[in-house]
Amino acid sequence: MALKVLTVDDSKTIRMIVKKAFQPYNCVVFEAENGVEGLAAATKEKPGLIILDITMPVMTGIEMLDRLKGDASLKDIPVIMLTAESGKDNVVNIVKKGIKDYMVKPFKGEDLLERVRKFMTLEPKTEEESPENKAAKYFTQVEDIVVLTLPAKVTRPVTVEVEGSLQTKIKDMTAAQLKKMILDMGGVSETNVSLIKLIIAAFQQCQKSNVAVKLVASPKQGEELKGFQETSQIAVASSIDEAKGSL
Amino acid sequence: MSGIQTVDLKSFVTHSVNSVFETMLSMRLAPEDPPNRQGVTAGKHFVGTVGFAGAVMGNVNIAVSREFAREMTAAMLGMSVEEISSDEEVNDVIGEVCNMVGGDLKSRLCDAGLTCSLSIPSITFGDGFRVESKGWDRHEQFGFRNSHHSALLEVYMKSPN
Repeated sequence: MALKVLTVDDSKTIRMIVKKAFQPYNCVVFEAENGVEGLAAATKEKPGLIILDITMPVMTGIEMLDRLKGDASLKDIPVIMLTAESGKDNVVNIVKKGIKDYMVKPFKGEDLLERVRKFMTLEPKTEEESPENKAAKYFTQVEDIVVLTLPAKVTRPVTVEVEGSLQTKIKDMTAAQLKKMILDMGGVSETNVSLIKLIIAAFQQCQKSNVAVKLVASPKQGEELKGFQETSQIAVASSIDEAKGSL
Repeated sequence: MSGIQTVDLKSFVTHSVNSVFETMLSMRLAPEDPPNRQGVTAGKHFVGTVGFAGAVMGNVNIAVSREFAREMTAAMLGMSVEEISSDEEVNDVIGEVCNMVGGDLKSRLCDAGLTCSLSIPSITFGDGFRVESKGWDRHEQFGFRNSHHSALLEVYMKSPN
């Protein structure tokens, strides 16, 4: 069963950093913006871990912690406090309140995970849920050519997902002596910066590993790619067959 | 009053800014002396403010141009500048950076015997304005710079009475 993690912080930025840190693990992350929302979420979801900021409007993290400790059904949930204040008095005060650990901002996601691992085991996502496996859906093989088909919308998360698996895929291809790849963006609805970055990354990775790569795009997309300096020189095929023929 | 005048603000602020920018934004800033106020405030810019009160009262203001603020947001959220969907995300990041720098500074003041509490950050955005506080015992400004942009940090402090 997935570990439920509740992040309570008035900063969306911090909640995103916490969420990202737990992404590779079998965790479901819930968010709350202040102590009141945090208490409600804790009561409803009964999380296995709470990451709690101190300075928040409406209800501070300290007040929320006091309420948690006063509720028999919530008092045993491990809490890691986040604080921007590293002063001795502040640290002593929060440690006294029976928290598992505390982190002083600024912090990196990895530092937070290190603290969590001191008292609980984080299970990696199963193969089905792993980013690499999720990205596998983009790859198919036609004869001796691997085809990377991009989805209709290429967003930053998609870019991260595909880029992350591309390296592994190219290694597998090298081991299997496959040296050709087609990057098919024909189904992409919008030419944006994430797409451009992904194309460049894919070409660079292929070139580095001596994998020949051809880009498939519609004539309209071909024109749009010319508008970006980074992709203006890339030759474009209008179909998979045309790309296969030129590889 | 004497405590306020003797704390080594420059080293406190430099440490706080470097620690926050390097850890959260993977960005290295160098001191810029004199601070480039004109470069920061000439066009649209953000000013993040956090206050502290107790044995010492004060404000920390961090001002950056809109362009730099967007770059900081992209760096903190791991995205490209083009992917920032609204100024709300930028506000949040500037607020959080201000909170961390102010929090670190506040901790150092507390450890130096100037016990105080920190307020929630507030953000001002626009052009043609200058945030200026009056009636302080000590006011200092510090400039920082990466390869493209400048940042201006101001600290105002006074005794409670």
